[in-house]
Amino acid sequence: MEIFDQLLLGFSVAISPINIVYLMLGSLIGMVVGIIPGFGPAAGLSILLPLTFGMDPTGAIIMLAAIYYGAMYGGTITSILLNTPGESAVVASTFDGYPLAQQGRAGPALVMQAAASFVGGTVGVILISVLAAVFAQVTRGFGPPEFFMLVLMGIVTLIVLIGDNWRFGAISALIGFALGTVGVDLETGMQRFTFGSAELIGGIAFIPIAIGLFGLGELFYAFYQGLHRGGSGGIIQYQSEKHFWPSMRDWIESRMAFVRGSILGFCIGVVPGAGATVASLMSYSIEKSSSKTPEKFGKGAMPGLVAPECANNAASAGSMVPLLTLGIPGSASTAVLLAALLMWGLKPGPLLMEQNPEFAWALVASMYLGNMALLAINIFAIPLFVTLLKVPYRVLAPAVILVCTMGTFSVHGSIIEVWLMFAAGGVGFFMKLYGFSPAATVLALVLGPLAEETLRQTLIISRGSPMIFVERGMSLGILIFTIGVIAFGYFMNRSRRLAKG
Amino acid sequence: MHLKNTIGKAVWACALVGAMAIPTLSPGLAKADSYPSERLNWTIAFGPGGGNDIMSRTIISILEKYKLYPGEIVAQNRPGGSGAVGWGFVHNQKGNPYHITSTSGSYITTPLKAKTPWSPTTFTPVALLAADDLVLLVNGKSKITSFDQFIKEAKAKPPAIGGMGAVNVDFIVPTLLAEKAGYKFEYVSFNKQGELTTALLSDALDAMVANPGEVAGLLESGDLRALAFSGKKAPESLKDIPTFGDKGYELGISMPRGVVLPPEAPKEAQEWWIATMKKVVEKPEWAAYVKKHELTETVLWGEDFRKFLAHSQEQFARVLKAKGAIK
Repeated sequence: MEIFDQLLLGFSVAISPINIVYLMLGSLIGMVVGIIPGFGPAAGLSILLPLTFGMDPTGAIIMLAAIYYGAMYGGTITSILLNTPGESAVVASTFDGYPLAQQGRAGPALVMQAAASFVGGTVGVILISVLAAVFAQVTRGFGPPEFFMLVLMGIVTLIVLIGDNWRFGAISALIGFALGTVGVDLETGMQRFTFGSAELIGGIAFIPIAIGLFGLGELFYAFYQGLHRGGSGGIIQYQSEKHFWPSMRDWIESRMAFVRGSILGFCIGVVPGAGATVASLMSYSIEKSSSKTPEKFGKGAMPGLVAPECANNAASAGSMVPLLTLGIPGSASTAVLLAALLMWGLKPGPLLMEQNPEFAWALVASMYLGNMALLAINIFAIPLFVTLLKVPYRVLAPAVILVCTMGTFSVHGSIIEVWLMFAAGGVGFFMKLYGFSPAATVLALVLGPLAEETLRQTLIISRGSPMIFVERGMSLGILIFTIGVIAFGYFMNRSRRLAKG
Repeated sequence: MHLKNTIGKAVWACALVGAMAIPTLSPGLAKADSYPSERLNWTIAFGPGGGNDIMSRTIISILEKYKLYPGEIVAQNRPGGSGAVGWGFVHNQKGNPYHITSTSGSYITTPLKAKTPWSPTTFTPVALLAADDLVLLVNGKSKITSFDQFIKEAKAKPPAIGGMGAVNVDFIVPTLLAEKAGYKFEYVSFNKQGELTTALLSDALDAMVANPGEVAGLLESGDLRALAFSGKKAPESLKDIPTFGDKGYELGISMPRGVVLPPEAPKEAQEWWIATMKKVVEKPEWAAYVKKHELTETVLWGEDFRKFLAHSQEQFARVLKAKGAIK
């Protein structure tokens, strides 16, 4: 019962009044940071980092971590209400979240996302408390070959996202892969398609593209339909009295999505470099492929919102595992947290949890409390957020454009990214008009560079031999699992067709 | 009456602004003995929280604490394009001694990668304060236990060595070492520190190079093993291992953490800053910063710093051209 002793120690530190204040402050800041499109947790953390110089490290890490996972709660709100992802990990939540809102079910969607975030986050913390050491071993075994296998699994799930019109879907995915080739070629240092621009050396960032394709694309489409002339009402009909709580059917439909999303999200979060964005997109695809009614996905299916929401929150907890157990940052946000640990004079590494148990366990304990606090804040704030829907579209639309522009600009201070966002908005509009799949584009943009990098790293290490993928145990395991998933999906599909005659 | 008043005010305001602008427009005309007499603009070419930001803010806090700079200091982050934006801004302040910036590794690599109107040597050098050097590491379970053994094994079978980025000191250091020691190796470039470290932990790589601060915890726990250090003097936590120089492979390059003024800054400003930075590096806060981040204290002043930059850039350009990474 060592774990309980340690957790108890953690709670005893975390529950001190000042730490509770930091926790609430962090949660609130995280929510706000998440809501502003473009402005994600990594940017929010790095701006607030200098403020923690003089603070007690435990209080400071409790606050910073709360900003990190709080952003996962906040980010979904604009995904659901405006089809504009607040940050990269919640792009997948727009796929079904926004259609739900369009059907007048914004209230249930927001409640469900809060519940899903809570479940994902809490499952994540429970897994950290109980199995951190086991998952640290997983992280340790993850070299480029395993990473490539994981990405390959993601690319397989891309087929699911492509949908019925596979020609348009494939074109959408190829656009994403093409955008992913921009920037410095990692292995040789050669520049590809940068046209001599210093801003493009780092490649095309995910956030401006996602905000453009979804948020602005939707906005332009609304203009095209003439919604801005629609008088004083919002675009979405919504009665808060009737439709606030999710129905029993929503819960029953989504029960497996909670489980699958949380566990998958955590496992992907543990792998350094993959992170919450990959986790949420992959769990959406897997949810869709394992659903009995995949045709409902993208048209307002509750499990399609729950799965990625559980996944991104569980992944943000999962990425704490390499940080706490090995001192390795798994994502941009945990890299800032790592910088913070160094700044406060702690030595992140395998000995951190032994040498500073009260620090590490206070952080873990605070994550239980933080998730509860965020659930409460969310539920209370939902009626406030849905009033957004009552704002006339001609007022709302320019405000959204302004906020998206500022949010995108603030991340890297790059005007080129703002233009990219607007260009992606134009492309997103036509994609919507002609039935392309922007979801496939963003997933391809995330996975393409990862696949290229890890495959090339693997082949350099193995001197060109692909046998390395089956020689290493873990990579072989992921390969077998992927083949299993494909076979399963194929037979499911066939039997369904047979059943239909 | 109203209108007249407003115009009058406007004229006054213009005159005032104009008067204030004169010293800014002609900084060279300011009296030598009166430098510094204005607000200092400290440009940080990277976002908050990074290595460059932390160093700049540490120096600024020392300057403020000991009242070494008489006026106000305004620090501004101007990130973008691996430093191209921030240093480009300072480059445009030609001759103005009230702008200053701090350097880091990208200060050498960014002008090699992108067409910047400046090179590291065009700025007015003040001081090189510290260097980020690299440590050569293997997995803690590896059978290689010493640097000599590593070289011997490498000659028998070319190792795969990982590092961060292709146009980076992480590539240059193992390449120069292999050149000098006479072995071949495969360089595997990574984008994120986490992926690089786990690649070594998972035994996919044979060795890697990293900043000591980034792997301190893993070294302490024995998960990674340090073989040798690329700098002149190893930090305290690595004092048991040899430097490349000890083994006869002195490379003479590292990532410069220093301070520079805009190009063609007046001589007296350069001298004033050299004298002031000499005071800064003697303060306990500076020693604490160097220790905490496991930097190598490497101090060069003024024109010596410029020579160091020229030498480093030459080495970088030569190796990168040979690999075809730059033209």
